[in-house]
Amino acid sequence: MLKKRLLQSAAVLAIGALAMTGCTNKNATNSGNDAGNSGTTTIAFVPKLQGIPYFEAMNAGGKEAAEDLGINWLYQGPTTADAAAQADIVRSFIQQKVDTLIVAPNDPDSMAPLLKQAQEAGIKVATADTDAPNSVRQVFVNQTTEENHGKALSESLMKAMGGSGEFAIVSCSETAANLNAYIDVIKKDVAANYPQGELVDLVYAGEDQAKAAAMATDLMNAHPNLKGIVGLCSAAAPGVAQAVKDAGKIGQVFTVGGGTPMAMAPYLKDGSSSASVLWDVQNLGYLTAWTGKELADDKQLQPSFDVDDKIKGVTFDAATKIELLGPPLIFTKDNVDQFKY
Amino acid sequence: MSTNLESRSPATDGTPAPRKILPSLVTGQEGVLIGIIAVLWILLGLLTPAFLTSGSILPLLVAVAPIALIGVGMTFIIITAGIDVSVAAAIMVTAVITSQTMVATGIPLIPAVLLSIGVGALLGLVNGLLVAYGKIHAIIITFGTANVFQFIGLRFFGSSTVNGLPDTFDVFGRGEAGRTLGIPHSFAITLLVVAVAWWYLRHAASGRHLFAIGGNENAARLAGIKVKPLVLMTYVITGALVGLAACFFIGQGTSTLEQSVGAGRELLVIAAVVIGGTSILGGRGTVFGTLLGAILVQTVTSGVTQLGWPSQLSDLFVGVAIIAAVGTDILRERSRRKS
Repeated sequence: MLKKRLLQSAAVLAIGALAMTGCTNKNATNSGNDAGNSGTTTIAFVPKLQGIPYFEAMNAGGKEAAEDLGINWLYQGPTTADAAAQADIVRSFIQQKVDTLIVAPNDPDSMAPLLKQAQEAGIKVATADTDAPNSVRQVFVNQTTEENHGKALSESLMKAMGGSGEFAIVSCSETAANLNAYIDVIKKDVAANYPQGELVDLVYAGEDQAKAAAMATDLMNAHPNLKGIVGLCSAAAPGVAQAVKDAGKIGQVFTVGGGTPMAMAPYLKDGSSSASVLWDVQNLGYLTAWTGKELADDKQLQPSFDVDDKIKGVTFDAATKIELLGPPLIFTKDNVDQFKY
Repeated sequence: MSTNLESRSPATDGTPAPRKILPSLVTGQEGVLIGIIAVLWILLGLLTPAFLTSGSILPLLVAVAPIALIGVGMTFIIITAGIDVSVAAAIMVTAVITSQTMVATGIPLIPAVLLSIGVGALLGLVNGLLVAYGKIHAIIITFGTANVFQFIGLRFFGSSTVNGLPDTFDVFGRGEAGRTLGIPHSFAITLLVVAVAWWYLRHAASGRHLFAIGGNENAARLAGIKVKPLVLMTYVITGALVGLAACFFIGQGTSTLEQSVGAGRELLVIAAVVIGGTSILGGRGTVFGTLLGAILVQTVTSGVTQLGWPSQLSDLFVGVAIIAAVGTDILRERSRRKS
C-alpha cells in the first residue's frame, strides 16, 4: 500500500518535472525567436464560439495560411457564445505560452484584463472579427469598417423595400460591439438618406436561429405594414428569412442580413432573403493568421499592403491600430454558389 | 394522497373507481392557468394589432408543440420525484443524427421520424438505467449524461453545421405545408400525445403507480409496485418524445442545422411542467397542466415581442411565473399537511 503510494508520488513528481522543463524549454525558444527564429511560431485564435460556419470558415483560412507560412495555428472556442467559457480558453492559451494570441471577444470589457495578462506573460495580443477597443491589443484585424458594413446593410434593405416602409432589426447578443455599431449606422443612414424608411422595432434573439425565426414571426404580426427585416448575425439571417417564407410573405416582407453563403443560398434563391452582407470570411482568417505571424516576428505593419494575390489593398491605421481587410462582400442569388462555407 | 392510491387494488381496475380517489377532471392550477392565458390573450388581442389572428396564434402553437411534447415525458419523470436535465443535449444528438441521415440518404418522412424517436429512446434508456438502478439522484445522473450527450452531438457535427436540409420535416413546420385545414400538424400530434398520457396517468394502474412512487418510493415498493421498471420507462418515454420533438425543431428551423439546436430548451420544458402545477417534489402533476404551462411561457415570449417591449422582459415574466407556481405548490403542500 505504502509502496504503491510512493510510486504514485514519484510518478506525479516526474510528470511535474517534465512539465516544468517543458515550460522552460519553450520559454527559451520564445526568447530566442528574435535572433534565430528557431522553432515554429504558434498562433492561437479564440473565436466567439466554435462550430458555426462563420468561424469555421475563418479557421479554414487560418489553416491555409499556416501551411503557406509554416506556422502552427491553434483554433479553439467555447461551444456557446459565453464570455466566461471563452475566458477559460484564453487563460489556457496564456499558460501554454503561445507566441501570438488572437481573440474575437464575446464581451470586450471582460476580455481586456486577460489580454493584459497575456501581454505581461510575453505574448503578442490581437483581436480579430470583434474588437476590444479598451485593451492592450496591438492590432485589431477588422473585416470591414462598421460604417461600410452598416451602410451596405441599410442600402441593400432599402433597395429591396423600394426606399420606403417600416422595418425591424433582429439582433443577436446585446453586448456585441460590432452588431451595436451596425445598428447605429443603419439608423443614421436611413434617417439621413431614406426619410420614408422607419425602424419600428429592435429585438435580440441571442445566437439562436429558432428564436430569431419566432421573433421575426411576432414582429410581422405586431407590425402589419412591416416591409423589411434585418437579421443581423449569421444565426438571425437565415432565421428571419425562414419566418418570412413560412408566413407566405415572400415579396411582401424583404430581409437582408449577415448570413454565411451556404446557409443563405436557399433563401436568396427563393426570394425570402434579398441580400446577405458579409466579407470573404476565409480571407479574414488568412489575414488573421498572417498578422499573428507579423506580430510574433516583431514586424511593423505598413499603412497599405498586399498579402498575396487574393488579399490585396489591406490598410493599417497606426493611430487606432486597426487593420482593414477591405469593402464588404454582398452575396445575392447570382454569386452565392461560388462560396463553399 | 399516495396511501389512498395504494389502497386501491389493481384487481378492481375494471370497475369504475370511487370518485374521491381520482382527482377532479380539472385541477385548481389548471383552472387558474386557463384563466391567466385567456386574460393574456384577450389583453394582447386588444393591445396589439394581430395577436389573436391565425397568423400569430398558429406559429405560437407550433412553437409550443415540441416543448409540451417533451414536457409530457418530463411530467411523468417529475411525478416520480425525478428530473431530466439532459433533454437539451438529447435534442441536439437526435437532431444532428436525423438531419445528417436525411441529407446523406434522403430517407422519407416516416423512417426519418422513427429513426429520431429510436435514437431519442436509446438516450432515454441510458438515463433510465442509470437513474433506476444506480442509486444516485436523477439531477446528478442526467447532468452527467447531458455533458456526454453534448460531446456525442458535437462529434457528429464535426465542428460544422448540417447544410442543405431537405424539406421532409416541413410538415411539422410553421409554414403552409405544416397545416391541414388550418391546424398545425405538430400541435395536433402533441394534443394527441397529451390526451393519451392524461388517460394513462388517470386510469391505468401503472400510471397511478407513478404517483405512488413520487409520493413515497419505499411505501410504493412495499406495496408491491415494480418501482425500477416504471422509473426506467419514464425516461425511455421522455427520450422517445425528445426524438419526435427534434423532428419538430428541425421542421421549424432553417435549411441549416446549427450546433445551438435545443440549447436552453430543458429549462423551458421544466418551466412548463412546474408552471403547469406538477409538484417538483413528486407525487402530483398533470400533463394537461404542462401543456398549459408551455402555452403560457410561449404567450409571454411572443407577447413581449409583439408589444414591442425589451426582449429580456420575457425572461423576467417566466421567472416570476415559475416562482409563483412553486410557491403556491409549497403552500398547498403545507396546508395539506396541517389538515
